[in-house]
Amino acid sequence: MQLLLAILIGKLVAYFSRLFKIGGGTAAPGLYALKIDPGIVEKLSAMIPRNVVITGTNGKTTTARMLSHFAKEAGLKVIRNHTGSNLERGVASALIHQVNLGGGIDSNLGIWELDEAAFNTVAHKLKPDIIVFLNVFRDQLDRYGEVDSVVKKWSQTLKNLDPKTIVLVNGDDANTSKLGSYFKGKVYNFGFRDYKIVGEAISHKRGKENLDFEASNVKLNGLKGSSFQLTINHKPINIHLPLPGIYHIYDALAAIATTSFLFTDIPIHRLTDTLKSFSPAFGRVEKLAFPHSKWDAYIFLIKNPAGATQVFQTIAPQLKPNDRLLLALNDNLADGTDVSWIWDGEFEKLKIENLKLKIVCSGTRAADLALRLKYVGFEPKSLHVEPNLRNALKQARNGLKGRLFILPTYTAMLDLQKILTKQGVKNHYWEDNY
Amino acid sequence: MNHKLLTIGYLYGDLMNIYGDTGNIIALKKRAEWRGIEVRVQNISLGNRIPTRQVGTRIDLFFFGGGQDQQQELVARDLAKGKGKVIKKEVERGVPLLAICGGYQLLGDYYKPHKGPKLPGVGLFPAYTVASFDRMIGNIVIETQFGKLVGFENHSGKTYLKKGAIPLGMVLKGFGNNGKDKTEGCIYKNAIGCYMHGSLLPKNPQLADWLIKKALEVKYGKEINLDPLDDILESQAHQAAVRRFA
Repeated sequence: MQLLLAILIGKLVAYFSRLFKIGGGTAAPGLYALKIDPGIVEKLSAMIPRNVVITGTNGKTTTARMLSHFAKEAGLKVIRNHTGSNLERGVASALIHQVNLGGGIDSNLGIWELDEAAFNTVAHKLKPDIIVFLNVFRDQLDRYGEVDSVVKKWSQTLKNLDPKTIVLVNGDDANTSKLGSYFKGKVYNFGFRDYKIVGEAISHKRGKENLDFEASNVKLNGLKGSSFQLTINHKPINIHLPLPGIYHIYDALAAIATTSFLFTDIPIHRLTDTLKSFSPAFGRVEKLAFPHSKWDAYIFLIKNPAGATQVFQTIAPQLKPNDRLLLALNDNLADGTDVSWIWDGEFEKLKIENLKLKIVCSGTRAADLALRLKYVGFEPKSLHVEPNLRNALKQARNGLKGRLFILPTYTAMLDLQKILTKQGVKNHYWEDNY
Repeated sequence: MNHKLLTIGYLYGDLMNIYGDTGNIIALKKRAEWRGIEVRVQNISLGNRIPTRQVGTRIDLFFFGGGQDQQQELVARDLAKGKGKVIKKEVERGVPLLAICGGYQLLGDYYKPHKGPKLPGVGLFPAYTVASFDRMIGNIVIETQFGKLVGFENHSGKTYLKKGAIPLGMVLKGFGNNGKDKTEGCIYKNAIGCYMHGSLLPKNPQLADWLIKKALEVKYGKEINLDPLDDILESQAHQAAVRRFA
């Protein structure tokens, strides 16, 4: 009865928040439903035959989306929390969305992104078959605390989880690779044959032992993506990933490794071959075509020092003299209210010799961003400060002869999506995934 | 020749650089270089010694950031083994220093954790810190002899100034040293300790310049006047923070 009431209230909240365009109902329905029945996540997720939990600082959404792509190709009905709603209320909202009023859920795989802190309080409620640890970097200290304490809490949570769970860890991240020793069950690792993660002081020198899922012969192919060889059970398969940047290869490894445990009867290359038709989530390396314009725009979400540095590294070699950059830094709660992190991100990577780029800085902390770029060595006169994102976009597109690279923080990305929706370039974000 | 060299000692830069602390080093370096002053940044950590007159090039300016608990303990022990005394001696000589958050706490008299005995500090700042369960997080604006300073604080330790200690400034918005007495930071000779990240120096260039000026004056033994710089973007970022938060 309590559960039914919680579902009803949740569905009503979702209905009204869409009706009045407050948002897509990705968090509020769950928030209210949890107040009525705090056990709603446990009860509803128990109806889903298999559940996967993905956590880490960077790459959760891309990994979840890729895994969902494989699962759909394999004929499964997937349920997942969306658009960065990585707390319990986001999980609850997705469950409420999917449950029918008879109390049933017509999905056979749950894919759940949980943020670094929510993992400890929510993971066990989902009774996951597989848990993926992607990485841990310094992120919003005001929300998650220090890296050491994140890892410590994860290891405590792992100790108490069902040993039948399969745990997948990034073997190239010194923090996630040591998690295995805290878990009683099976742990598998994924990573590169020889590589160290850039952007943070942690690196992993490969010893003699092989990784369970190991990428080799990695070739980066500019903005088009990358290709690599993945060896699973001593059999190599070639993978073409339509996403640029080394960091996305880790997301792909995690998604493919998870897939190999979920679908033991399907040859894995059949699924990885379908990556051709995979499109990333909004703002994660998205290519946009503006109407009445022959120039492309690319959106890369930046949200913390390591992630931003990886984005800079990926786009820097691609920049041409006529290209422009639009960076947008917000300091709302979901972005992190402390913008100090921009001083740890290697914006220096964007400074390319003999290349005079026009850069528009936007968002609530536009001036902080411009200042960061000035201290990289950009001429102050090439830096344009325009806190209003709509005007900034206009300024960046005005007279554009090359491509536009847009690098927003999380809430700036949502703002951008609203603007683009009004201009007819994009769908609402809540129409993007469900 | 009017060539000037500034050697910045980055104290435990590999362990104590929790959020944007490196931005302070970048600001000091660039603002000196834009004036034709050569800059060397020297990382001083567990393995090495602080150069003094007898060995190597002396440090002209110290910077000390914040760290995670585990690292902070390591650093505290290392400071007690001798580096703390050297830093104190150099500051007495007039060498400027900027310490943020954890670095500020370690340079005080002591730190009292929730459990266990007090951890002795360097005793440079006449102040002590007591662990608390309040997290003091948010944008902070203070009024100081350098004008308004803007930054971001994130600490649970509460620092109390002893009698006669001079605060860096008074809180206009935020918590400051302890959330009660409206003071923020401490200034002793040319050494400044405070809780302000942000990074602090890029957005508060007047403070960066004061540190550079003091460093050069101590080093070259004469009054130094720094050339003015185009600080339009700096003051834009500073003003934006004052407008939004104060």
